[in-house]
Amino acid sequence: MKVTIKSWTGVATWRWVANDDTCGICRLAFDGCCPDCKLPGDDCPLVWGQCSHCFHIHCIMKWLNSQPVHHQCPMCRQEWKFKE
Amino acid sequence: MANTENQHNFDNLWSDVCHLFPILSHEKHEYLAQESPHDDLTTMQAIVSAGQEELVEQLVLTEVESQLRNNIVPVFWQRFSVLDGRTQSLDPFKDAVDCLYESLASIVPILQSLVLLRQTAQTERQVCGQSSLLETFKVMVRASLHSQLPLNYQAITEDFYRISFKVFCNSENKDAEQNESTEDIFQCAGCGQEVELCQCQSIINAFHETNGKLQELDLLERLAGDVLTTLIHRRIESHVQETCKGSFDVPHIGSLEGWLDTVVMGWLSRIYSSGSFGFRESENKSTVSSVETLSKMKQTLRYFLYETYTRTRIDQLFNIIIEYPDSEPAVEDLRICLQKIDLRQHLTQKLQRALETRLLHPGVNTPDILTAYVAAIRALRTLDPSGVLLDTVTQPVRQYLRWRDDTVRCVVTSLTEEGPSDLAEELSRGEALQLDDLTPSEEDTKNWESWNPDPVDADPSKTSQSRRTSDIISMLVNVYGSKDLFVNEYRTLLADRLLSSLNYNTEKEIRYLELLKLRFGESQLHYCEVMLKDIYDSKRINTHLHSDTNFNLDNQEFAITAMILSAQFWPQFNKETLELPEFVQEHLDTYTKAFETLKGNRTLCWKPQLGSVNLDIELKDRKVNFTVSPIHATIIWHFQTKNQWTIEELSQIMHAPATLVRRKITYWLSQGLLHEIAPDTFELVEESGPRVKGHIPADIVCDDEETESAMASAQEQREEDLQVFWNYIVGMLTNLDSMSLERILQMLKMFALQGPTTIEVSLQELRHFLDRKVAEEKLLFYGGVYRLPKS
Repeated sequence: MKVTIKSWTGVATWRWVANDDTCGICRLAFDGCCPDCKLPGDDCPLVWGQCSHCFHIHCIMKWLNSQPVHHQCPMCRQEWKFKE
Repeated sequence: MANTENQHNFDNLWSDVCHLFPILSHEKHEYLAQESPHDDLTTMQAIVSAGQEELVEQLVLTEVESQLRNNIVPVFWQRFSVLDGRTQSLDPFKDAVDCLYESLASIVPILQSLVLLRQTAQTERQVCGQSSLLETFKVMVRASLHSQLPLNYQAITEDFYRISFKVFCNSENKDAEQNESTEDIFQCAGCGQEVELCQCQSIINAFHETNGKLQELDLLERLAGDVLTTLIHRRIESHVQETCKGSFDVPHIGSLEGWLDTVVMGWLSRIYSSGSFGFRESENKSTVSSVETLSKMKQTLRYFLYETYTRTRIDQLFNIIIEYPDSEPAVEDLRICLQKIDLRQHLTQKLQRALETRLLHPGVNTPDILTAYVAAIRALRTLDPSGVLLDTVTQPVRQYLRWRDDTVRCVVTSLTEEGPSDLAEELSRGEALQLDDLTPSEEDTKNWESWNPDPVDADPSKTSQSRRTSDIISMLVNVYGSKDLFVNEYRTLLADRLLSSLNYNTEKEIRYLELLKLRFGESQLHYCEVMLKDIYDSKRINTHLHSDTNFNLDNQEFAITAMILSAQFWPQFNKETLELPEFVQEHLDTYTKAFETLKGNRTLCWKPQLGSVNLDIELKDRKVNFTVSPIHATIIWHFQTKNQWTIEELSQIMHAPATLVRRKITYWLSQGLLHEIAPDTFELVEESGPRVKGHIPADIVCDDEETESAMASAQEQREEDLQVFWNYIVGMLTNLDSMSLERILQMLKMFALQGPTTIEVSLQELRHFLDRKVAEEKLLFYGGVYRLPKS
């Protein structure tokens, strides 16, 4: 007997490759979205800092905008720089 | 001397008086007709001059009365008691009435003389409350008749009227159905005789005559009233029953009223307006009174008709509801009737009982109950726009539905079902959901002029506004009192549907979702929106990956497409494990790599048990194409390397539970590709000879494939929620040693239930959960408190 697979439709869930499950700012899942967003994934992406901490982009932007002088990572207090 | 003369005069006078009123002499005198009225007049004047007219009158009346009591009335009643057996003829009653009439007629001349005497004396006295002697006489007749009433007199009167009524109805019908062929009829429907010997006409004549006589004597009402009423009532009942039998799609009130007016009232008016002979004082008076009687009777009978009709309809109400909206005319009839007859209480009780016996038991499918409930909502809404009736009647239904496990699922399914379904239609009307809330709205006070009080049986804890306006879907959702259950169930259903169809076609679902959003609100259905977007995005990603040559997806042995889901927004998946063949896994890994390249920093977790596979199987003598689930494909894939497998081996190599493998393998058995050579050992069937075919068990069931859900059931999800508490509970019990159920719940509420995701837990549920833990020996229950087992 020979079995030939012609097509395969699979089901998968996507997730962010990050060192944590939840955003340190909004405490919501990375795979979900930040409190202001409705749609996860492309519409509410993650950003990594050089300190290797990552957040929802909307969360960290809101945080940075609220900091008048120094832009620091809210987790480790190092200066915040986006990882290229 | 004067005495003797007086005596003599008195004797003379007495003999004259006796001559004038033969009844006084106690002998059978024939009234002498040749006596000249002049003599009578002189006698009367003599009486008057002697001042004895009152005495004479009294004497005569007493005599007449005793005559009535001792002779006439007993003879009349005699005729009733003699004929005890029922006869099918009019005669006994008619004869009796005739006889009575004649005997009474013989007394009339005496009365006339008395009247004359009164005129001579010019007195106006009242006897027995009546100023006219004729009326006095009638009173006396009635009194004597009633004083000697035998017990069974009604039997004969009833016979009499029943037969005549039958004849009458028949003649009415005949007029209507003149044209119909009468060839086959040998019996007259009226009198039961053969057609040639039909006695209908004579019956009718005799009937009228008798009634006329009774009417003149003012005896009709007293003697026959009861009988007539019962007869007519019975007739109305049977007629209503006949009319209402099984047909709900025609309004009947009009025709029933017409029937009452023409047939019944026609008959009655004939009875009451029959001819007159000698007993009438003035024609006008009696006509007026008979018209009055008739109209009074008509009112009573109409009321009775309504009542009978209403009761009949109420008895059928369950069927009427089931057939709604085809049965709308019947409901409309009932609505009109209920305004006239107060049978609400009766209706509520009857219908509730009918619902309970016919609907609310384990033998009925939930969808059927729901259909009936929806029909009831609609029908009762027509019946009583205020909704109170609906509220009270369907209370048990709601309670029962709450108790059924699959209610929510059924509601949601039928909401989004294809094809004509009441609920789907209702949904597409698109109105915002009305949930019970107790705040009276502004409009209540604005429209105070058109305000109507609720009926007495209304539940005062609900506003009439909410009762009036809430629609069917709201009412169904209100069975549970929360939208969440419905939304969650819908989410599971949607997930199942999307993952079982796997065709990326979401237009229909989007439409339903939009409709549901109108009902349940945007925020509740946000998750479902994301789910649909996932499907849409997956399609795009697939096309993109396949069109980009860099990913080399098209050069593979077979094409892989994927549904890429946002796990946070989908219901929990079943935690089934499955190890796919390495060959397939490699392909999936390639796809994952392509995805990772496309979307930086993101990766895929495959759900190996979900999806669908299209494969060709080449056997020695044939080639077959199948579309199956991955687990099926994996099973058959392994048979390529080895012809014989046991369940145990398969389960090991596939990392899947043996029970699951066992269940899934039946599919290939039913397809004739595999063959169970020993218990739990299977062999590939290369050639489908007739010998092998015979071995295929016919009763293999593999239809559960369709219905199986990829999602964890609501119960399992709930279990998981509760599992979170278990840690708290263990902590509590470690510190506090032993706690009662109430105390545990209290503590949980204080600490564990405070988070952002508030999970409600009831005492009942917690008890259930803890009891299971006791069964698993993770907890001890002793003397009303829980404690941890000493380890």
